[in-house]
Amino acid sequence: MKRLALATAALATLLSAPVARPTDGTKYGAGVTGAQLVKVSELRAHPDRYVGKTVRVEGLVTDVCPRRGCWMEVAGDKEFQTMRVKVDDGVIVFPLTAKGKVATVEGVFEKFVIPVEQVEAWKRHEAEEKGVAFDPKSVKGPENFYQIAGTGAVIR
Amino acid sequence: MNPSAPGAGPAPARRPFHGRRLLRALHRDTGYLVAGLTVVYAVSGIAVNHIEDWNPTWHLVREERRFAPMPVTDRETMTAELVRVLELPGPPRSAFRRAPEQIELFYDGWSVQADVTAGVASTMRPSERPLLGDANHLHLNHPRGAWTFVADAYGFLLAGLAISGLFMIRGRLGLRGRGKWLLAAGLALPALFLLLRRL
Repeated sequence: MKRLALATAALATLLSAPVARPTDGTKYGAGVTGAQLVKVSELRAHPDRYVGKTVRVEGLVTDVCPRRGCWMEVAGDKEFQTMRVKVDDGVIVFPLTAKGKVATVEGVFEKFVIPVEQVEAWKRHEAEEKGVAFDPKSVKGPENFYQIAGTGAVIR
Repeated sequence: MNPSAPGAGPAPARRPFHGRRLLRALHRDTGYLVAGLTVVYAVSGIAVNHIEDWNPTWHLVREERRFAPMPVTDRETMTAELVRVLELPGPPRSAFRRAPEQIELFYDGWSVQADVTAGVASTMRPSERPLLGDANHLHLNHPRGAWTFVADAYGFLLAGLAISGLFMIRGRLGLRGRGKWLLAAGLALPALFLLLRRL
């Protein structure tokens, strides 16, 4: 009888313990640990200040890698701005259903200098996708590309 | 007369230990245990091998619609107008503009991408592939936590199955017979690829 009472009490404690609410979101990778929260607009305006630093951004997920779920685009506080979050293939997989949800993402801010040949190839590809004529004058030289090498995220 | 009855005769000799018999029994029962998961991992493995060509877990259902072009205004106005024109089921959960004329409306699990000046909208619904989506979920250890222990245990059992399989049969068909050639062939193939990698 005593054992039954103890088991009932243990079960009641377990059931009354706080559980993760749906609003807490789904954790990916290491989740978020509390790195410096930076607005996407700030990263866009002064990217070189943050290169190599661990940053945390929060925003609407506007796009997800359709094949591997290995990147997603997070919208900023200003219109027309996004920041790409790239994760190691297979280590973290963002679901396609993350689009339209809010993500908090953490990772190291990176800079890549894209050679002029690759910029031209990319703009040509973009023009083809949109069905418009490629304008060679739109290539003005090597371009800087910034992204967050994501270590973790919470999507809700 | 019952020969096993006490005092009926000399005590029977102790049965000798048959290692190979035990090995076969273990191999057989482990085989039954891991058969289901092996099929799941094999199917998912083949699917994930071709990840460059397709998304093995999700597929995107696109539907294009045309509407009369509308002026570029602000996000809220464009959203309301698109909901009305495309007869969408109420206001979206959120909306985003990639460019002044390009807007995306997000609903639960699906979205609508529109170019208001071109008058083109695409509805996109990601849908998880039945069975294969579940197989990949387990194979890629998305559940984490307790599933990690299950997957680790499965890995150990599979290794045990492979090793026990080597010693199950004696003689011409065993490891000392043609088994050694097949084992060598199985090891040579990955070794060749690793050798080529280093050249």
